[in-house]
Amino acid sequence: MIKKIKSLAFAAAVTLSGITGAQAEGQGLLDTIIERGSLNCTGHNGSYLGFAEVDANGAWQGFDIEFCKALATAILGTPDKANIVPISWAQRFPAIQSGDIDVIIKVTGWTMTRDTELGLQYSRPYFIGPFYVMSKTELEAKSVKDLEGGVFCVNAGTTIERVLTDYMETNGISYEPLSFEKGEELRAAFYAGRCDAIAGFGPFLSATRVNAPNPDDFEILGDVLKLEPEGIVVRQGEDDLLDVVNWMVSALLMAEENGITQANVDEMKANPPSASIGRLLGATPGVGSRLGLQDDWAYNVIKTVGNYGEIYSRTIGEGSRYKLPRGLNNLWSNGGLLYPLVLD
Amino acid sequence: MIEAVPPPSARMSTLNWARKNFFATWYDAVFSIILAVLIIMGLNALIGWAFLDAIWSVENKDQCTYDAGACWAVIESRGRLILFGLYPYEEQWRSTIACLVVISTIALSCLPVFWSIRRIPILWIAGFTIFVLLMRGGFAGMPLVSSDQWGGLSLTIFIFAGVFVIGMPLAVLFALARRSNLPVIAKSFGFFIDIVRSLPLLTILFAAAVIVPLLLPEAIQGNKLMRVVIAFAIFFAAYQAEIIRAGLQSTPKGQEEAAVALGMPYWSLISDILLPQAFRNTLPSTINQAVITFKETSIVTIIGFFEVMASGNAAIGNGEWGNQYVEVYVFLALIYFIFVFGLSRYGAWLETRMRLGHA
Repeated sequence: MIKKIKSLAFAAAVTLSGITGAQAEGQGLLDTIIERGSLNCTGHNGSYLGFAEVDANGAWQGFDIEFCKALATAILGTPDKANIVPISWAQRFPAIQSGDIDVIIKVTGWTMTRDTELGLQYSRPYFIGPFYVMSKTELEAKSVKDLEGGVFCVNAGTTIERVLTDYMETNGISYEPLSFEKGEELRAAFYAGRCDAIAGFGPFLSATRVNAPNPDDFEILGDVLKLEPEGIVVRQGEDDLLDVVNWMVSALLMAEENGITQANVDEMKANPPSASIGRLLGATPGVGSRLGLQDDWAYNVIKTVGNYGEIYSRTIGEGSRYKLPRGLNNLWSNGGLLYPLVLD
Repeated sequence: MIEAVPPPSARMSTLNWARKNFFATWYDAVFSIILAVLIIMGLNALIGWAFLDAIWSVENKDQCTYDAGACWAVIESRGRLILFGLYPYEEQWRSTIACLVVISTIALSCLPVFWSIRRIPILWIAGFTIFVLLMRGGFAGMPLVSSDQWGGLSLTIFIFAGVFVIGMPLAVLFALARRSNLPVIAKSFGFFIDIVRSLPLLTILFAAAVIVPLLLPEAIQGNKLMRVVIAFAIFFAAYQAEIIRAGLQSTPKGQEEAAVALGMPYWSLISDILLPQAFRNTLPSTINQAVITFKETSIVTIIGFFEVMASGNAAIGNGEWGNQYVEVYVFLALIYFIFVFGLSRYGAWLETRMRLGHA
């Protein structure tokens, strides 16, 4: 039923996007955000492991939330201006069309339908979502191939079912699938030993492992079943805002590449080791005005949330409960897929 | 002459009672014993899990393993999130008071003293105004909290109460309009009710929250919570209208004709003769509808409201408390139980009371 409503809402949203587009004409969304003094981002209707969680005081935190804060800081100078709107998965595309939210930062995969038919525009991927397999340590599997004929548990009704089927067919591995409706049931079954392995989104598997009675009983295998590049989404035609989003992500990566951290950013700004770092941090003017922002926007962002690596570690990586390895989300120089753009 | 034997005592001894009901034949006895053993084992396990082996405080969180009992520490740590959702932490006392105000408004309107056309609306408008003022703030040093941030139990209660208060008068209106003598009104309202009833609630709420802002100019959109409550109320009214219509049709036609013959005005006929009987006759279905509505409020989570169910999911959707979902769901079930059981007991009390008045 939810799917039906989704497509209904999509249809309506797409038909009507012409109207809202016309309303917004004359002033780009970026200017509207600056004028309004707040940035409306996506939260979640609940907590989504590591990406958008609510702490005991009702405050939002997580990987996606940090990017929202970073964007708010870039545009408005302070993370307090980020207004996190609770939004369900089904609601995010209609909500961005209706103007309830300005950007979608919600582990949203870059797919052709969304990009072309829904009137949306994607930023460069800020997170590479990997699907992995986790198995019992006692099986001593080194790769998915070693689990031939085993029972694989998955969440029903999600893309993971298809991803797993595709991977297994392509690689000619036979297996016995077992689906569960809810994540909790899936975990309980896995802990109880009903499955030889479970397949799923990296962060979910990490959380499952961390919460296991004995985490060492389980290990995540290195094989990547599939990648889903996650982008930040804006409405079609909001080029100014999209530019800011892209350069914000790039600035976070460039900071990591050059060893600029939350702790040493002041020092770096005072004595930039290279001309491009000086430009990034606003010591040499120019980085802001070209985007319609203050020249110290990137400095503010790094000062507030740190570089990409710091955000990752704090929310889903080593410094968090999830301990999700950087893997493909590392910089290119460390064997990952991420790279900054050229700041000239 | 035969001596009179006193009749067998009406009160059986416990032993006799048990023998008669549980051990009348040998297979009765076997079943009884098996059942008793099962019940005792179940209770034992339940009490052990929920009380004896339970971990009560966050300091002992590391004892919350799979073999241990219930980990109520999750409620200590995340309870306020469940009850208040995203409402700002320092301001949660306001949410508590607002919640109590609405609960006492509901309780007060259950007292027969307030059952009059004038008193009920005054009571409700006062209760609602206090609720909204407290929750919103923005005066007397209370910071403004927009309705996007409302959440938890007070949001659930607000939605339920709002739907009931707006929906009930609408339902009466719909029911009367459907019985109207003017075919245009009767037909069009009948059609409208049937349309609303044939749409899923989720679709209606989704449209109110997401599609309406695309269609209407900003000035008349109202805020999202208001739109959702009104849409929900219309949905409720469509069902409740049919219940009331059934009640109206169950009053003998003669009463209406007699009233008309006596020259009673229309509104007097409706409010003094037909509606009181209609409400009394349909009380069980009305309570039923109220209970269903209370439980259905959890659907608003799909459009991004942090009512108590969504807050519960938020409480367990992180790495730290991800395994304590059973405890959180039990806690939520208890909250729902208190309200729904209260509602149905109230319904039962009303029925007894009305039967007395009827006699």
